[in-house]
Amino acid sequence: MQAFSAFLIPILDLQLLSLVAIGTFAGIYIGAIPGLSVTMAVSILISFTFKWDVYPALSLMIGIFMGGVYGGSRTAILLNIPGAPAAIATALDGYPMAKRGEAGEAIGITTVMSFFGGFVGIIVLAVAAPLVSDFALRFQPRDYMLLAVLGILLVGSLSGDSLIKGVFAGALGILIGTVGLDPLTIADRFTFQLPELRGGISFIAVMIGMFGISEALMQLHDVNKAAIKQKISRIVPSWGTVRKYLPLSLQSSGIGVIIGALPGTGGDIAALMAYDHAKRVTKNPEVPFGEGAREGLVAPETANNAAVGGAFIPMMTLGIPGDAVTAIMIGALFIHGLNPGPMLMIEKPDMFWFIVGALTMANCFMLLFGLTGIKTFVKIVEMPRSVLIPLIFLLSIVGAYAVNGSLTDVYWMLGFGVLGYFMKLYGYQLGPVILGVILSRLLDDNWRRAIISEQESLPMLLKGIVTSPLSLVLMVSVILIIAAKTPLWRRAFGTRG
Amino acid sequence: MSVVRTRRPGEAVFSLFLAGVSGFLLWTAFGISGFEALSSPGALPMAAAGTMLVTALAVAVQTLRSAPDKAQTLARDIVPMPIVLTVVLVAGYALLLKPLGFLPTSFLFVAILIRMLGGQGLIFCAAISAGSVFLIYVVFRVIFNVLMPEGIVPEREILAFIGSIFSGAR
Amino acid sequence: MKLNWLGAVVALGMMTGSALAQYPNKEIQGIIQWGAGGSTDVVMRAVTPHAEAVLGGKVVMQNVTGGVGAIGLNRVADAPADGYTLLMGAENPLLYKVMGLGQKDYSDFVPINLIARGIPIIVAKPDAPFNTFPEMLAHIKANPRSVKFGSTGPGGLPSVVTAMINNKAPMQIIAVPYDGDGPALTALMGGAIDVMPAVLGAAIENIKAGRMKAIAIFDTQANPALPNVKPVVETNPEFGAFLPWGPFFGVFAKKGTPDDVVAKLTAAYAAGVKHPDFVKLMDTRGFTIMNISGNEATSFLAKWQSNTAWLLQDAGVTKASPATFNIPRP
Repeated sequence: MQAFSAFLIPILDLQLLSLVAIGTFAGIYIGAIPGLSVTMAVSILISFTFKWDVYPALSLMIGIFMGGVYGGSRTAILLNIPGAPAAIATALDGYPMAKRGEAGEAIGITTVMSFFGGFVGIIVLAVAAPLVSDFALRFQPRDYMLLAVLGILLVGSLSGDSLIKGVFAGALGILIGTVGLDPLTIADRFTFQLPELRGGISFIAVMIGMFGISEALMQLHDVNKAAIKQKISRIVPSWGTVRKYLPLSLQSSGIGVIIGALPGTGGDIAALMAYDHAKRVTKNPEVPFGEGAREGLVAPETANNAAVGGAFIPMMTLGIPGDAVTAIMIGALFIHGLNPGPMLMIEKPDMFWFIVGALTMANCFMLLFGLTGIKTFVKIVEMPRSVLIPLIFLLSIVGAYAVNGSLTDVYWMLGFGVLGYFMKLYGYQLGPVILGVILSRLLDDNWRRAIISEQESLPMLLKGIVTSPLSLVLMVSVILIIAAKTPLWRRAFGTRG
Repeated sequence: MSVVRTRRPGEAVFSLFLAGVSGFLLWTAFGISGFEALSSPGALPMAAAGTMLVTALAVAVQTLRSAPDKAQTLARDIVPMPIVLTVVLVAGYALLLKPLGFLPTSFLFVAILIRMLGGQGLIFCAAISAGSVFLIYVVFRVIFNVLMPEGIVPEREILAFIGSIFSGAR
Repeated sequence: MKLNWLGAVVALGMMTGSALAQYPNKEIQGIIQWGAGGSTDVVMRAVTPHAEAVLGGKVVMQNVTGGVGAIGLNRVADAPADGYTLLMGAENPLLYKVMGLGQKDYSDFVPINLIARGIPIIVAKPDAPFNTFPEMLAHIKANPRSVKFGSTGPGGLPSVVTAMINNKAPMQIIAVPYDGDGPALTALMGGAIDVMPAVLGAAIENIKAGRMKAIAIFDTQANPALPNVKPVVETNPEFGAFLPWGPFFGVFAKKGTPDDVVAKLTAAYAAGVKHPDFVKLMDTRGFTIMNISGNEATSFLAKWQSNTAWLLQDAGVTKASPATFNIPRP
């Protein structure tokens, strides 16, 4: 119980508390600006907090992490540019809400739901970390592969009117994800011997191009149309609204924690999976998905913030990063003279409880900062388009450049922006492209690992799947989702696709 | 299937273009490792490119069969002038970024674009542009140490100079 | 370098002070070849603040990843040789030529400091039916094509260690590729693979916790961090011919950088590496500090390259023979 008292340190120590607050505040803006990522900020902080004690350093980093995951939703809702990959699903319904003048309400729901999800993640981390991490370790390459397939099936719900165009877009995304030197065999894939292509196409450049640039180009069709007046009366969702979405937010949080805890998958995949889940379980949304459904905000936002707590689970129990940010934090712990690994929980349990405490406070600050100043933020969208659009372009270009400091990425961003613009005009949805890019590596690497492990034999792989309970559950889910889309099933069970 | 869509100007060309690109990518994907093994680096690229080709062909057939939309024109509804000009401007930005440097290029880009889109006064355009470029520069370069191309402005020397004022002469 | 008017004015202002001693008069860029949170990243971010203190200038570090580090290397090679752009990398570039990843390697750079080297260790999942290196070889022999080794792609540490073993005791295994030793060690704990050659520092905490077991340290002597694990030469002395061998980290400047600048950087990093905090960090992560520069570093690089490149050539995993690039056979 002595270790548990460390939980109170970041709450009672005024200096640490203010560091968490500063971190969270900064994190929201880092998350909101495309091209600045939490990963980047935390790695800069390593050299910056080098001489500090470990508690203050961690307080700042945890604040930034929590705030950053939430902050990505801001630009996703207001400008259709997800500030971070985890906010992609948020843009799908958040931006249409802003277009209807409901940006304030969208941000309000997002904030409260992020807080809720973050809280569930922290509770699971606090009470069940060893259990969850043992479960996460059981995932074999074939299970990751099935998880990726499950994700790819989201194309079905992101395709809009034309499934066939959606499948095309999804396949395009997967292909984009494979460009560059193959990380497993260093074979050239679609590189045409160009050094610029060997490093692959920056995912952030594709994302900013497909979402931000293509939308900004679309808006040029009517530059002189007056900006949408935003209603700012209703911002904090009522208790009734929160209660209505309680079951959905609990389920999404569960998805978030598990996906977040799996090494190799993070908040971006969690958010998309939760979005799909919401689409499947919501029978009669007030507004259709993709046109500003509140469920489409609730699910991804609870999931990606729940994934934060999830990502700490393997880090604290095994010294394995749950995502890119926790990977850097493990490095930071090393530099501060600690040994992250399975022994950390036993040798220094106070460190665990300190992190839980700091996360809790960061989550509260996120709610506080998230709900203040929304009215000012929403004003951005009310700027005249002839001013707003040039600024969106500048921010997009700088964001694409900043990720790797590479001009090639700016060209990619522009190229995908133009391609996305035409695809939009001709009835293709862009969500599946991004989905494909995100899942490409997960699918490719794990399919190959799985089949190599079974000596290149498909029957052996199938046998492996049906004899493992975990793989079997995933396999059955895949089959059920496909089956539910077929006409025969719909006639038999009367469900809507 | 359910809704009979009309074909927008340029849609047929675009669908054929996508089919052509998919075909080329499939051929390239085959060149990675052929049908060597299920686990070969070319396996997923071939599957993805193959799917692209099949779906792109299906879309192309659908599109070519549908009736063209006579009410829309290419120049007005698909690629109006402001869009072409903007794309050219962004490409120009990328070209000039290295030789000219981040600060002047960005300033010119935003000022010209605002002027082009809204037709506001020159001073207004310059002021908005200078303010936003400065803000972005402070956030990205000064706070986050993202190194932007310097071009003709010796930023590092200036920053070091400003830094030396604050830290006092050594 | 391009001359620019403001720069000239500023430079003129600086010239009035002591002429050449002014080297870091602006920020230095440090290009880290590998991603944030990796070993290279952690080592560089830990040592550089100590070096900065000696240097009296600021080093801004940036991760430029991709192409097995080749993208970052080329970035530095394309920058002016003025000491304001440094490469912070690992051993991989020495294999670029034979692996067909590019025409540049460390021979195009001046080593500022080779900081530390890692020691390979062979670990297995806790319930593997063998405990020592000879037992492992016997088990693989008795069960061909069933033991799964983790790998990190051609040229990575596991591939080199596997090539060494194959050279002395040919074995039939399944090599399952992962994109780094972190994910591979995770897979080992989850039972997806059976054996993993890894760097000691990455595995040590898990060995102590019993989540994986150490089979042999791939070095000529036991390591103080794991005194009970036998070095491989104790049971199989034939491997002594390849050892000591290991991955390493270093800071490099482009060839042609002025000598006084190189000297200043060398002094700064040499002092940084000696800092007690950094020494302690390297000890806990199981790295052996080298802290070498100049001719000593150059000959270390040449020897490392010739050993490893020819080993991989003999194992048949290279794309081009080391002879093509005048890399002498050891």
